[in-house]
Amino acid sequence: MNKKMLCNNHNPRGFFALIFLFFLSTSFLFAQNNNGLKVIGKVIDENNIPLVGATVLEVGTSNGAITDFDGEFEIEVNSKSSIIEVSYIGYQTKRIEPTTEKIMVQLIPDVTSLNEVVLIGYGESKAKDLTGSLSVVKMDEVQSQPSSNIGDAIQGRAAGVTVITSGQPGNNPTIRIRGIGTIGNNDPLIVVDGMPLNGGLNQVNMKDVESLQVLKDASATAIYGSRGSNGVVIITTKRGKKGKGNLDIDVFTAIQQPTNIIDVLNAEQFATLSNEMLVNGGLQPNPNFSNPSSLGQGTDWLDAFFTTGNQSNITLSYSQGGEKTNLFTSFNVFDQNGIIINSEYTRYIFQFNTDTEVNSRLKFGNSLKINYDLKRNGDNNIQNAILSLPTQPIYREDGNYSGPLGQPVYSGDVENPIGKSNIVENKINGYNLQGTVYAELGLLKNFKFKTLLGTEANFWDTRTWVPKYSWDSDISPNAYLAEASNKSITLLWDNTLTYNKEFENRSSLTAVIGTSAQENKFKYISGSVQGFASESTQTLNNGLLQPTIDGSGSEWSIFSYFARAQYDYKDKYYITATIRRDGSSRFGEGNKYGTFPSASAAWRISEESFLKDSKTVNDLKLRLGYGITGNQNIGNYSFASSYNTNVYNFNGNFVTAAVPTVLPNSNVQWESQEQYNIGFDATLFNYFLDLTIDGYIKNTNDMLVPQTVPVTSGYSDIYVPYTNAGKIRNKGVELLLTTHNIDKDKFKWSTDVVFAYNNNEVLSINSDTPLTTGGIGLNYTLARIQPGYPINVFYGFVQDGIFQTQSEVDNHALQVPGTDPATSTSPGDIRFRDLNNDGIINDDDRTFIGNPNPDFTYSINNTFKIGDFDLSIFFQGVHGNDIFNANRLYTENMSVTTNQSTDVLSRWRGPGTSNTMPRAVFGDPNNNNRQSTRYIENGSYFRLKNVNLTYNLPVEKFRNNVFSSFKIYVTGQNLFTITDYSGFDPEVGPNGIDMNIYPVTRTFTFGLTMGF
Amino acid sequence: MKNTKYILIAFLSVLLWACSQDFLDKQPLDTINTENYPQTAEELVTVVNGAYQPLQWPKLYNLRMWTSDIMAGNSIVGAGGGTDGIETQDMSNFVTQPDNAGVLDLWRGPWPGILMSNIVLETAPSLDIDENIKNRSMGEAYFLRAHYYFILARYFGDVPIVTVPLSSDDDLFPQRDPVSQVYDLIISDLNQAIELLPPKSAYGPQDLGRASKGAALGILAKVYLTLGDYQQVVNLTTQIEALGYALNPDYYNNFNINNENGQESIFEIQYASDGGFDFWSNENQASWASPFMGPRGANFVGGGYGWNQPTQEFMNQYENGDLRKDISVLYDGCPTFDGNSYDSDYSYTGYNVRKFLVPLSVIPSYDNSPMNFPVLRYADVLLMKAEALNELGQTSTAEPYLNMIRNRAGLDNIQSGLSQTQFREAVLKERRIELAFEGQRWFDLIRVNNGQYALDFLHSIGKNNAAQKHLLFPVPQIEIDRNPNLTQNPGY
Repeated sequence: MNKKMLCNNHNPRGFFALIFLFFLSTSFLFAQNNNGLKVIGKVIDENNIPLVGATVLEVGTSNGAITDFDGEFEIEVNSKSSIIEVSYIGYQTKRIEPTTEKIMVQLIPDVTSLNEVVLIGYGESKAKDLTGSLSVVKMDEVQSQPSSNIGDAIQGRAAGVTVITSGQPGNNPTIRIRGIGTIGNNDPLIVVDGMPLNGGLNQVNMKDVESLQVLKDASATAIYGSRGSNGVVIITTKRGKKGKGNLDIDVFTAIQQPTNIIDVLNAEQFATLSNEMLVNGGLQPNPNFSNPSSLGQGTDWLDAFFTTGNQSNITLSYSQGGEKTNLFTSFNVFDQNGIIINSEYTRYIFQFNTDTEVNSRLKFGNSLKINYDLKRNGDNNIQNAILSLPTQPIYREDGNYSGPLGQPVYSGDVENPIGKSNIVENKINGYNLQGTVYAELGLLKNFKFKTLLGTEANFWDTRTWVPKYSWDSDISPNAYLAEASNKSITLLWDNTLTYNKEFENRSSLTAVIGTSAQENKFKYISGSVQGFASESTQTLNNGLLQPTIDGSGSEWSIFSYFARAQYDYKDKYYITATIRRDGSSRFGEGNKYGTFPSASAAWRISEESFLKDSKTVNDLKLRLGYGITGNQNIGNYSFASSYNTNVYNFNGNFVTAAVPTVLPNSNVQWESQEQYNIGFDATLFNYFLDLTIDGYIKNTNDMLVPQTVPVTSGYSDIYVPYTNAGKIRNKGVELLLTTHNIDKDKFKWSTDVVFAYNNNEVLSINSDTPLTTGGIGLNYTLARIQPGYPINVFYGFVQDGIFQTQSEVDNHALQVPGTDPATSTSPGDIRFRDLNNDGIINDDDRTFIGNPNPDFTYSINNTFKIGDFDLSIFFQGVHGNDIFNANRLYTENMSVTTNQSTDVLSRWRGPGTSNTMPRAVFGDPNNNNRQSTRYIENGSYFRLKNVNLTYNLPVEKFRNNVFSSFKIYVTGQNLFTITDYSGFDPEVGPNGIDMNIYPVTRTFTFGLTMGF
Repeated sequence: MKNTKYILIAFLSVLLWACSQDFLDKQPLDTINTENYPQTAEELVTVVNGAYQPLQWPKLYNLRMWTSDIMAGNSIVGAGGGTDGIETQDMSNFVTQPDNAGVLDLWRGPWPGILMSNIVLETAPSLDIDENIKNRSMGEAYFLRAHYYFILARYFGDVPIVTVPLSSDDDLFPQRDPVSQVYDLIISDLNQAIELLPPKSAYGPQDLGRASKGAALGILAKVYLTLGDYQQVVNLTTQIEALGYALNPDYYNNFNINNENGQESIFEIQYASDGGFDFWSNENQASWASPFMGPRGANFVGGGYGWNQPTQEFMNQYENGDLRKDISVLYDGCPTFDGNSYDSDYSYTGYNVRKFLVPLSVIPSYDNSPMNFPVLRYADVLLMKAEALNELGQTSTAEPYLNMIRNRAGLDNIQSGLSQTQFREAVLKERRIELAFEGQRWFDLIRVNNGQYALDFLHSIGKNNAAQKHLLFPVPQIEIDRNPNLTQNPGY
């Protein structure tokens, strides 16, 4: 059948071939009956393409036939009343009555997506033929959740794929597939229209995406070799379809609010806290705070800082297809004002895809995306907005912004966040182009050669302007301008030769061999200057003081060979093998190449005779796969041994200094990862239910871990080389269940459930010393990477209530000794558990206090079709992860002069007043604020992620059929969240540390889609 | 078929193009490949320059070396209060833990300098270059290595001795060597440096600030003073006297950006303005002293974070008429600073340091102060000689040296006929005032009477939990975690 699709349908030679093969087809009969009625016919699919290998069966007998290369069959049945059943995998079975004329049997695909064409690396396959683990994300569901970034819209829609959105306008989400497999870079490879994407998903207009699939297990990703170990996301954009031109206009507008803002103290509450804190710390309280109740509410900084955001978006797309050429083009404009004042994102995308058939053998085409985006914001410091004192107004009487005024211990030293948001200008202009051009040539009979050239050019300019200002004690006497220009160019050249053959015994073989070469060059220059005589000319050459310049560049390249063979027998037994050999510039001599093989097999149990006719089990396939992939995502020059050029001076004259920084390690090489996968795909109960279950074990070996370099070597202990010595294991189970509950003409209801469980364990890091990560301030030891524990596990002290009396302090292990409550542990301070029972609380009393990796993630989507209305309701949740709420280090410490959260109203003030919130004391002598279980919270959440209601206007009622489709829709995203987490939002990032994270937004969208 | 042939050619050419070594051979664009470097004199000098740089870092002289005055009781942290500078507060309250950030900085400062000195000493001998440059470079490397080890030995005691550059294949996990062996290395290195280095007078203006023979003699004298070998101190300081140094008649000219590397300066850490480097990075060439010690919220200097606020007890040490008071510190009623009157409200103690401040009108920005930081002044050498002569029982010979310092400060001669103990006390007090806030006081306290002098003094100013163990810092915990061969100092 594949071969047939290559040929031009209107080729007259085909007719003669038909006749010839018709006679040949008689040899395919596997039972003869000479006494009955001879029936001949042709079986075609919904596109009128002949179906090869369809089964034609006389019901109640073993008399049957198979359709040939032209979809034709001949069968002799017993009598005129016999029933003939025509069936094909993935299609609805049809029953026909025998006639004397040739019967045309058209089979319609059944409700499962088994016949869907999915893209695997460097090729395509039908969903029914897959042997590896691959998730196809349903684009119509994704499109019901309008967003500027398609990454955000796939959250919860594929088992094992975790997406963490960034609330900041224009930023890309973080995508993780099957857990965290390395301490290095965990980002999956994203391939768009055949080319690995160097920039971000915000370069792609969601509306232009035709399909998105995620390759998860090694047998699927091994074809990407050294870039496959974190999974692969394959995206294709729309192409023109045969038929008259189609114009689609999609418009939407949305408003957004933060899902949650924390409560902070008002002026009266703050003044009370300040007095207590200072007195407990042995200092004089602020004389201005002698009557807190007279201060009232004071300034609500967060209210001034957050605002209602909005988005508007319009996409115009045009598609048409003719005999030889088809075309898809679209233009998108997106504009967003964020939920924080003075933050904005604007984007334009132009897309142009064509395909042209020169003749039956030669085809060429292109995909082109050009986009421009602008991110503009002030210096939006969420932490400062929380910490600013409510007793300080935003403006002084002269209209100038306020700053801390008076003694620092009374007025703090937080920079006015509203001022900084408004006067600072940060801008990033991005210009991106991604284009691929391909040619496909059919050779001999079964060969196809394809060459693809790709280019990606990313240019981005950044600019920061800070005017001079004088806000009470916060003075910046000189205006400051910094600009930078970045450029990254990537080139790709892929060549593949594909062999496709269908054999007489209904087996088929597809083999591909190919090469891929990719190269990237990156360069930047930047400069800054201070002191402008006039602020009306804001160019670098107008600055007077302290000019700086900086600039550098880097390059990388990859060259690979790969091969794959897929063999299947009667749609029943499948086997696939791939191998790839990658060379990368990131490794030193002798280590540049790595080899990555994989193999997988599948057995369609439902084609076996004992299940073939079952109505309960419509399709059941067992898959097994194993493969080795690699990760080469380390710095570009890790193997090199080098000095940095640095500077010193003698008597004011600058001289060059050559400085070695990183201990040289020329032996660094690939991380390799092996993965075992077992899976079931099933369609059950008369097409009522589709189920996919996968179980996997993913072992990362040779993980690149920082080498332990003691300071005594003279080399940096922070910028250390990597050595291949670590091991991490991820194992898990993924489940996708779809039920077609009701399937009537005017009322449909189906449910999708996605569930994924992952267990992560670090097995070895080549050292008895755990690696520490998760640095906050001067302390680097919040989280650990330690054998026997999950990655990034939290490590700290254990809070054991609060000391209520002095005797409790005296009876407990020594914390901070002394008699003065202002400088030593006293009632109201936190008691930390003496884990080793040695009578002293010190660094030895720390232990594992939380795990940021979720146990499981899940989602439930219900879609309804009621008359002309479509409704979908999508819930999504994450369970079992801990979050270290690092913001509380700043909002609950009650030991420096900043505003605090309202949680501190329950602080300890005397015996029995609290057993969880300690006393307010300036300087925190007991270090209540140390990293302990105090700030570990349960990060599980359950969220109504998206609700979409669409009304499809009955377009046939319009005159002249002016519209081919007309939809009006409203959506709500992140409508409500059920969680115990007290921070802004529980989506904080894979390492589980919430530090100044931009809050996720609740969005209401109204839109129209019109097709002409 | 014809097409097939073309396809195969295309295929092969792709393979050949990309297969070529060059395609996958990418070297970094912005760093120097160590395989062939250094080769020439200029290249060797850049490595020597690199060996100086760690001295400039906040881990050493830009912050941590002068905050030792806070630990020594001359001042308090001050700053923003609360937990601002908590690591230094902990040190000065003698509750230092092995995870103290300031201690970690002091540990991490010297080793890169030692590595770079080792690289110079390993590569220089075989180079075919001008003998003068070679000797000078090796002399500088010996001096710097000795200086870095001197810092480590005084703060931490036993430390590993590393005298060759290490690579990934070497043993990176050494044990601590006894401090007596460390001092042997320091003394041997400094003697080499004395041989190889030219005198300061031989340096032209573009090299002024490099280590000189006088600097090596002076540091060696300080080493012997620490070890208690007073005869050597006298010998060495006498040699320095012959080299042409002199006291600046005006004390202020030791701390004057227009008189850097002047006649009294034997070795100072070089800083410069208008480098344009990030203030918080390793390349920063600006001094932190002015922005950090400037009074907070007063707009006297660029920055002004209010660190290092002198205590009342320290202020009480000034004798009437001491000219150094108005130059060293700010107090209510002191002479105006850049036209501004000082208000004691600027500080928790009512006082701020003045010595290192550069006025706002001269350097408006916090990150641009060019003031060099003194490590060794001629005044220090004279006081060392006075102290050593006194310890050798020659108190009367020692008096003139002490008096030179006092007279320059506008004070009368010291009372004649003091006992050895009284004279020692007088010299130590003079050192405290003369070298105030220059990072010398702590080392003076711990070297006298095996550290008992420090404990007695600290107890006398109310730091009652200062104990014997506090005379050394703990080895940073993170380093012990990495290298189990390191042992911890007693008591931590």
